[in-house]
Amino acid sequence: MSRILVVDDEANIRVLYADELAEEGYEVVTAGNTTEAAERLREGQFDLAVLDIKLKNESGIDLLQQLVKERHDMPVILCSAFSCYKDDFSAWLADGYVVKSSDLSELKQEISRVLAKKAQRAKTGL
Amino acid sequence: MDWECCWDRDVIALGDCPNIREGDEDLFASRRRRILEKCCDCENFKRDLIRFRDSGHPLSQVFSLVHEEYRRQKSQIQSLVSFLDSKTLEVRFLHELGLVLQTSVDLEEVLSVALTAITAGKGFGMNRAFLFMTDRERDRLQGYLAIGPRNYEEASQTWHEIASNDMDLQTLAQSFRKNKLSFERAKFHDILERLSVPLSDTDHILVKAMDGKHPVLIEDAFHHPEVAPEFARLLGVDTFLLMPLISRNRRVGIIIADNCITHRRISEEDMRSLETFAFPVAFAVERAALYDRLQVELNRVTEAGNKLKEQQELIVRMEKMALVGRITSSIAHSIRNPLMIIGGFARSMLKNTPASDPKRDFIESIVGETRQLEGVLDEILNYSDSLYPTRDFWDVNYLLEGVIRDTGEAQRLRGYSCGFSPGDGLPPAWIDFKQVAYCLRTIVQSDIEEIEEGGVIGISTYLEGDGIVIRIEDRGRRIGREELDAMMTPFSSTQDLGAGLGLALCKTMLQKQGIPFGGEPLPEGGIVYTIILPTRKEEQT
Repeated sequence: MSRILVVDDEANIRVLYADELAEEGYEVVTAGNTTEAAERLREGQFDLAVLDIKLKNESGIDLLQQLVKERHDMPVILCSAFSCYKDDFSAWLADGYVVKSSDLSELKQEISRVLAKKAQRAKTGL
Repeated sequence: MDWECCWDRDVIALGDCPNIREGDEDLFASRRRRILEKCCDCENFKRDLIRFRDSGHPLSQVFSLVHEEYRRQKSQIQSLVSFLDSKTLEVRFLHELGLVLQTSVDLEEVLSVALTAITAGKGFGMNRAFLFMTDRERDRLQGYLAIGPRNYEEASQTWHEIASNDMDLQTLAQSFRKNKLSFERAKFHDILERLSVPLSDTDHILVKAMDGKHPVLIEDAFHHPEVAPEFARLLGVDTFLLMPLISRNRRVGIIIADNCITHRRISEEDMRSLETFAFPVAFAVERAALYDRLQVELNRVTEAGNKLKEQQELIVRMEKMALVGRITSSIAHSIRNPLMIIGGFARSMLKNTPASDPKRDFIESIVGETRQLEGVLDEILNYSDSLYPTRDFWDVNYLLEGVIRDTGEAQRLRGYSCGFSPGDGLPPAWIDFKQVAYCLRTIVQSDIEEIEEGGVIGISTYLEGDGIVIRIEDRGRRIGREELDAMMTPFSSTQDLGAGLGLALCKTMLQKQGIPFGGEPLPEGGIVYTIILPTRKEEQT
C-alpha cells in the first residue's frame, strides 16, 4: 500500500483527501503546515506527497524545493486553488500539478500516473 | 559790350534765358543763383566768355580758368552726390534686409526675403534668382527655390504690379511668400529637380564657386570652359552671377542670379553689393535651417514626453488592473476551498447514498451547482490573469509539446490521437507563456470535448513572415460560421459565466497581447484555428 503525505492548511480538505484517497487504497497521512510535514517525514517514509501551494503564512513551493533537495526519490504533486502556478518556473520542480476541484478524479489520476512512473523508474533503475 | 547771356541783369523775364523753364520762376529775380545754377553751363554765357577773352582784358584768362575749374568740380560733386544717393539707398536696403534676416527663424521667410531682395527693383534688380541648398545627408547641392519671370510679358506684368503697390522690402517679401511662393515653386519645380550636383564633383562650376567662397561672374556660359553645356542649357542664359552662401566657413548653398529678360550687364558694383548681401543671407539661412532641425528634434522630444506620460499612465492603469486581478484572485481562492469542500463532501456522500434515497436528488444538486460555480471561478481567475500579461521569448514547439502532454489523459479517455508537426528552426516567440499555454490547452480541450470519440487533431507550427503560425485542425464536427463566431465572442449575450467561455476568453487574452487568433469552419467538416505569435518585441501592442 502506497503511503501519501497530504499537506494542506484547510482541515476539511485534509479530511476530504484522506477519506477519498483511502478509498482508493492509499495510506494517507496529513499535515496542516510545514512544521507538521517535517515531523511526519521524520516519522516515516512516503511514496508521494501532495502539497498545497498557499499554506497560510508559508509557501508550499518552499517546501517543494526542500523536499526535492532532501527526498529526491519522493515524487511531489502540487494541488492548488491557483491555476496560474501551473506554468510557473517554481512549480516545474513538481512531478505533477492539479488545480483544486470538488471532483477529485483528476488528482487521483495524477497520483496514479506519478506512482506508476516512480515504480517504472525503480524497476529500470533510471 | 552787348552780352548775349542774361548774367548782367538783376531781373529777367520768361524767355530771356533758354535754360530757365516753367517752375524755375524764382530764378528770374535771383541773379546770384541764376549765374551759379544756369549761366555757367549756358551756351550764351560761353560765347560771352569768348568775346571777353578776345577783348584782351587781363582778367579774362584767369576768369576762363576759374570757370572751367568750377564746372569740373561741379560735375565731380554731382557724381559724388549721385554715388552717395545710391549708397544711401543701398545702406537703407541692407538695413531693412538685415532687420528681417536677423529676426526671422523661418526658412521660407528668409528665402522669400533673400530672393525678393535680389530680384526687386528696390533691391539688386536682377531678373531671376535660383537658390541651391547644401544637403549634408545626401552630400549634394540641390536646387531649392527660384524666382523670376519666364518671358518679357510676365516680367512686365510683375514690374507693373510692384510699381503700382509701393511696398517696402519686407512687405514685398511677405506678399511674395503669401501669393507667389508656391506658384514659383511649381513653375521651377522641374528645373530645380534637375539642378542637383554632388558636392564631391569639385569640377562643377557651382562647387568650385562655393569652394572659392567669392562671387563668380560667368559670361559666355555656352562656351565657357568651366561650365558644363547641359548646365548652361538648363539655365538658358549666357551671363549669370554665382554667389556662394558661406556661414562660419560652412557651405550653406549658392545663389545664381541673372538678367535673362533685360540682359543688363552685371557690373563689378553689382557683384560687390551682392557679396555684402550674401553674408547675412547665408547666416540667416543656416540659422533658420538649424532652427527647423531644432523644431524637428523638439517635436520628437515632445512626442517622446507624451509617450512617456502615456506609459506612466499605462503603468498606473496596469498597477490598478494588477491590483484588481490580485483582489479577484484572492477572493476566488477564498471561495474555491469552501466550494471544493462542499462539492467534495457532497460527492463522497453521493457515492454512499443509494439511488432510492429521497435525499440523493438534493446531494446531486449540490454537486452540480458546485461544479457550475467552480467553472465560473476558473473563468474569473483566468480573466484576471489575462489583465497583466508577462511576456518573454519562448520556444513554441516546446510549449505545444507541453500542451499535448497536459491534455494526453483526456485524449486517451476519448480515444483521440493528436498529430504534431513542429516547424524547423523557428525563432522564439514573444509571448506570455502561461496565457498562451492556457489558450492552447483550452482550444485542444474544447476540441476533445466537442467532437465525437476517436477523432483526430492535427497541430502544426511554421514561420510566416515575422510571425510563428500555430495551426490546430480538428475534423470531428460540423459547425457554422455564426456558431463559431458566437463561441469566440467574449461575453456575448448568449453566454453565461461558467457556461463554456473558454474560446472567448482565449480570444480576449490573446488580443490583449496583440496576438491574432481566428477560427475557420471547414466545408468538409471541422475547424481550423490559427494563432500568429510575434517574434519581435515591437510587434506587441
